[in-house]
Amino acid sequence: MRLGFFTIFGTLFGFVLSRGRVSDYDTIAGMFRLTDLHLFGVIGTAIATAGIGLWLIRRGGNRTVTGDPVDVRRKAWQPGVFSGGLVLGAGWALTGACPGTSLVQVGEGKLVAVFTVAGILVGTYVFGRLRSFGDRPGLASEPHPA
Amino acid sequence: MYEALFVTPWPWWVAGPAIGLVVTLLAWLLGKPLGVSTGYGVVCALGSRLSFFRAKEYDERWRLAFVVGLPLGGLIAAWLAGQLSPTLAFGQLDRLTHGSVAAKAVLLFGGGLLVGAGARWAGGCPSGHTIVGVAQGARSSIVATLGFMIAGFAVFNALYLVLGG
Repeated sequence: MRLGFFTIFGTLFGFVLSRGRVSDYDTIAGMFRLTDLHLFGVIGTAIATAGIGLWLIRRGGNRTVTGDPVDVRRKAWQPGVFSGGLVLGAGWALTGACPGTSLVQVGEGKLVAVFTVAGILVGTYVFGRLRSFGDRPGLASEPHPA
Repeated sequence: MYEALFVTPWPWWVAGPAIGLVVTLLAWLLGKPLGVSTGYGVVCALGSRLSFFRAKEYDERWRLAFVVGLPLGGLIAAWLAGQLSPTLAFGQLDRLTHGSVAAKAVLLFGGGLLVGAGARWAGGCPSGHTIVGVAQGARSSIVATLGFMIAGFAVFNALYLVLGG
């Protein structure tokens, strides 16, 4: 039942991204061409508003409205942050979408976005597979039949 | 009023604060950090035994529940705007690909691969890093965002320079 609340929030986020043209290919293209600065304004004011909101929550003792701890921490430093960022940025340029907006596009009826979503899912899996090489069964860990 | 809320696209000074408000309310009401790309990892964890997807964050079902809402939000927005008509068109990308659905499919799938792998490598995407992470002043998120922007500008402009359109 609690999971349903998260779906409501996802719906709200998708709605806002759509209304704000963030899921529109031409908006992303305009940002990269510097002909439409709309998205810079959106990102900037989103960061500022979220910054104030999260700061107020921290100041209030990092508790939710019902008194539970708030599980929002700074993402820890990891070695791939910049390289991974570049790879994602390249994909962002090719698709005009990120993991969130590609899903919003599908809902809006922009059907070719299913290819973006499929690509992201496969890309996530492939990365996990490459990172799991050390412990894959079948090589050293599996006993060889005599 | 209906027109301004549901039909005319929101100006940046409405859309940005609305996103920030969603981030704040998700933290204040449900105690969780907004993020999307990890949700794709949760899907992978459901169908794979790879050790990478055994990390704690890929066991968080709320991430999947959140992500499921995104297309619903897009659907509702398009429906209320009276623009819900499924299409194979994709804005200016149609000029680049001369409207070929196959070309768009290849480009979007290939780009999606980079987005998915890059997000896992960087530990987040433009939602979790650029909005929530930078809002917290996290160094990792600021560096990741620089990566998104640098490669985004370079690759986008190179693509249109080479292929025209």
